[in-house]
Amino acid sequence: MSPLLELRGIRAGYDAIEVLHGVDLVVQPGQVVALLGPNGAGKSTTLKVVSGLVTPTGGQLWMAGRDVTGVSADALARVGVCTIPEGRGIFPNLTVRENLLMATFGGSRLSDIEESAYGRFPRLAERRTQLAGTMSGGEQQMLSLARALASDPALLLLDEMSMGLAPRIVSELYEQVGRIAADGVSVLVIEQFARTVLGVADWAVVMSHGTVQAAGPAAQIGEDVLADAYLGQRG
Amino acid sequence: MNEERVKTFTAEVAEMKLRGARADRERLLLAVGVVALVAGVGLAVFGGFQASGTLELGDQVAYLATGTFIGLALVVAGTALFVRYSVARFMRFWLVRLVHEHRSETDRVVEALKSLENKLGK
Repeated sequence: MSPLLELRGIRAGYDAIEVLHGVDLVVQPGQVVALLGPNGAGKSTTLKVVSGLVTPTGGQLWMAGRDVTGVSADALARVGVCTIPEGRGIFPNLTVRENLLMATFGGSRLSDIEESAYGRFPRLAERRTQLAGTMSGGEQQMLSLARALASDPALLLLDEMSMGLAPRIVSELYEQVGRIAADGVSVLVIEQFARTVLGVADWAVVMSHGTVQAAGPAAQIGEDVLADAYLGQRG
Repeated sequence: MNEERVKTFTAEVAEMKLRGARADRERLLLAVGVVALVAGVGLAVFGGFQASGTLELGDQVAYLATGTFIGLALVVAGTALFVRYSVARFMRFWLVRLVHEHRSETDRVVEALKSLENKLGK
């Protein structure tokens, strides 16, 4: 079976500034791939290339055995590429239920979406009439995960899910990510705090300065590789 | 593993129409609009000058027909394209701004409620 997602020598950036200098990355069906690296490594830009928000200036983007370089973000979203952006991907001024209602645009029924969301995250059921913006950071992240799953994604792109959350909540959320992957959804997750994600990831890619520094099974990514990427190569 | 979903995804990606990003097309049409507008004005002025510079009725009609009228048509079409695509860009930015402002507003309300709650709690 061909990889669900493959980046081949991707170069991309913003106007004259090139951020990615030839990134290679593969995500197999049902795999959780962690994209690690310090601030400014090019992780978010890589995610934007995958979701179609940034058009690469070089290289190719392949999905399910087809070259889809340059395809628009809405076309990719329609076939099942779903992004949960950094920070909040929810409507803070709507209630939990109304936020889930917004996910019915894809054709799913609200009752089905609610059943799946409350089944995965019982805490959302308790807060169904509460304004989403008044919930805790972890609950907001649960809501954005629940809403993303309502669109029946084939590839889920998560950007810095742990941002501003307590470690206990983060591990709870990553447990859910593991369960989502077990259901057959491929997940590409960006994380600045490597240790939080390596527990659920099958494969890890370490980026630095817009290039891939190391890649391998998550369990084999050692402290030395991470230290090199985050603190710079040792003399 | 849910292989069915992967199969559907593969089939949908295979059927996907490949075309350039929509933003590129919008930018192109905006540029086409501006070019048509400028060329149209140029043609209209040229036709007008040439028509007024001759006493031959036949030449005047020809200049007006090929210069001024085609020029005016280009001006109308170019203006329509320019307005359509520049307004679309403006509206998009405006929407993003509105969402952003809404969020900061909610943050402020939540902050105020929290501080009230703390004060009442004490």
